[in-house]
Amino acid sequence: MTQTTIEPPPEVDPNESVVWYRNVRVLRVVGQVVAVATVVGLIAWLFNNLLTNLDRQNINTDFGFLDRPTNFEISFDQGFDPRSPVWQMVLVGLKNTFLAGIVGIVIASIVGLIVGISRLSSNWLVARAATLYVETFRNIPPLVIIIFFGFAIFTFGPFPLLSEATQINFLGTDDNLLILSNTIWGIPGFVAEDNVGVFWITFGVAVLAAIGVAIWRTQLSDRTGVHHHRVRWALGTFLVIAIIGHFLAGGAWSMSWPVVSENGRRIDGGFIMNFGFIATALALGLYTASHIAEIIRGSILAVPKGQSEAANAIALTGFQRYRYIILPQALRIALPPTINQYLNLVKNTSLGIAVSYAEITLLTKTSIGNGRPAPQSIAILMGVYLVFSLVISLLLNAYNRRIQLVER
Amino acid sequence: MKRLFALIAVLALVVAACGGDDDSGGGLLETVQDRGEVICGVNETLPGFGVVDDAGNFSGFDIDFCRVVAAGVLGDADAVQYVPLTAEARFTALQSGEIDMLIRNTTWTATRDGQEGANFLYTTFYDGQGLMVPAATGFTTLEELADGNICVLTGTTTELNLTAVFNARGIPFNPVQFEDNTQLRPAYEQGQCDAWTSDASQLAAFKATIESEGGAEQFIMAEVISKEPLGPVVADGDTAWAQAVNWSVMAPVQAWEFGLDSGSIGSYSGDNPNILNFVGDGDFNPTLGLPSDFAVQIVSQVGNYEEIYNRHIVPIGLQLAGSPNDLWTNGGLMYVPPYR
Repeated sequence: MTQTTIEPPPEVDPNESVVWYRNVRVLRVVGQVVAVATVVGLIAWLFNNLLTNLDRQNINTDFGFLDRPTNFEISFDQGFDPRSPVWQMVLVGLKNTFLAGIVGIVIASIVGLIVGISRLSSNWLVARAATLYVETFRNIPPLVIIIFFGFAIFTFGPFPLLSEATQINFLGTDDNLLILSNTIWGIPGFVAEDNVGVFWITFGVAVLAAIGVAIWRTQLSDRTGVHHHRVRWALGTFLVIAIIGHFLAGGAWSMSWPVVSENGRRIDGGFIMNFGFIATALALGLYTASHIAEIIRGSILAVPKGQSEAANAIALTGFQRYRYIILPQALRIALPPTINQYLNLVKNTSLGIAVSYAEITLLTKTSIGNGRPAPQSIAILMGVYLVFSLVISLLLNAYNRRIQLVER
Repeated sequence: MKRLFALIAVLALVVAACGGDDDSGGGLLETVQDRGEVICGVNETLPGFGVVDDAGNFSGFDIDFCRVVAAGVLGDADAVQYVPLTAEARFTALQSGEIDMLIRNTTWTATRDGQEGANFLYTTFYDGQGLMVPAATGFTTLEELADGNICVLTGTTTELNLTAVFNARGIPFNPVQFEDNTQLRPAYEQGQCDAWTSDASQLAAFKATIESEGGAEQFIMAEVISKEPLGPVVADGDTAWAQAVNWSVMAPVQAWEFGLDSGSIGSYSGDNPNILNFVGDGDFNPTLGLPSDFAVQIVSQVGNYEEIYNRHIVPIGLQLAGSPNDLWTNGGLMYVPPYR
């Protein structure tokens, strides 16, 4: 056997300075600076190109067009005056995008929760039906679903022309609870009277009082162990004060029942929904529900099995087990991916253009087609969606931080 | 779709930006001659003016004028690349240089001429906006449409005319804006709209299609609510190209006035000096950047105006005689400057 000698590693002098291009700390900084400079440079170059070329072709690059008249009417918006400036058209588009987004989110959340839980049901039929739902909606592009709903419910659907609309009365009276036609639907709505200003003050008081009551109930519950029922208490407080405010203001709101006009072409009064809105909100709600259902299912499965077993051990009913043990824990896991789905839903409302829903994208396209400058209009459009998405994610992230498990 | 559209718009401008720098050397006319192909922005969903069949072949009145330009500039009517465009995307495509010319039932208006950086050339078709209702309703006047839903394509001048005319007369109405005719048509036929407004030529085309496909009988109101001069458009700032396109497009009208058609132009044997100039005999050279036999190429390959009209517009139910598109000598508006 030969003797091998292990040479000691070379001595490193800790004071010896490394050349800069081998110094990790220097390289990191340089790398980041280069990356940022490239991105900024690229954007600046594109932007400069845009401006130079628009300028060369004598195309305006200012936003003055926002103050000029719109000159066209908006679908199913009787209140819009075509002489009002373009920025008001943008506001109408915003309102419609917002409406479809909110209604879609509500539908998606409720349906998604129910379907998600159903997928885990021990009932064979319920579980399979939920699976069928998820696989159907999840695998069809939302645009196709929207167009399908537009055609299936309205264009080729079961509802009659507005002049012979189906009218469902409210408990034997002549007031219409629901008017169904192939273009617009009417439901009862509330109309603000002149003195509504007074009401809004009491409305503010009611909100504050409701928050106060909720906090009080929580603290009471923490001190004494009584069930807090804070949602019921807060809602009750809010309703009582708001209703008192309504009467104090001398009837700030009045009920408005929808009525088909004599020529059969309008619905007067009530709250009117057009087919584009219904098809968009419903299709996106049901489509997103399929994704949320999967998130809910995954989150429930992610709650340790011991939690369920413990709940069973203390003889909680199935509902109690979900309500008090499983769902509060699953919600924490589900919230971040659900936020993403909400954002997608709001952005997808732009597909409403396929069923002539007058949301911001359709109006922007119309406005570009009628001679408004495309780059500025598109910039506004992008800004609108950006703000929408940021606001939603800010709100929900704040909520997420609040309900997150505090790890110590 | 919104994101896609936004992306395309921005990308188009970026492409314009990149492409813009290097075409300072030669004009578009030279570029087209080098390429050996005219890139033409067209409509592919409008019967009579521009449709594409199952095999991908384009045909129609506007399509034929793309062919006219290709025949005039390149001597080959088939040397055209068609780019189907939506109403909103058409000017961006022109500004960005994605297409050489646009002929897509586009109305010549002051705003478009100015703000869109577009250069409108000879009007090939005089149209006007009309309204169509199912014949069973018996409606004949705009007033009968009060409060009605009126189907309209979004991003077109029709929308502005509709609003202007109805507001001026104090008739309340509700526009239902559609992105393209494939969605508008079923909505109209199923009664979601009380009327359909568009250029009268388009309505005539759809009336013919609906009735021939077994749909309800349609009625086009007599009232024409706007002027819609339709013609080819090129980008501002390139005079040589604009002149080449313009004089090519006008050649079929001049041929018609001279009584020459696709069969007879190649064998003209008379001694009318104006016609001899037109067919490129003799030493006539207006230095438009076009070959001397451009008119012969255009008319023999595509036809004169009357032939083009009869081929595409008569089948959709619009007669030439007595219309604004008749020759000026017959009381119409087709009048081109002399080729001399």
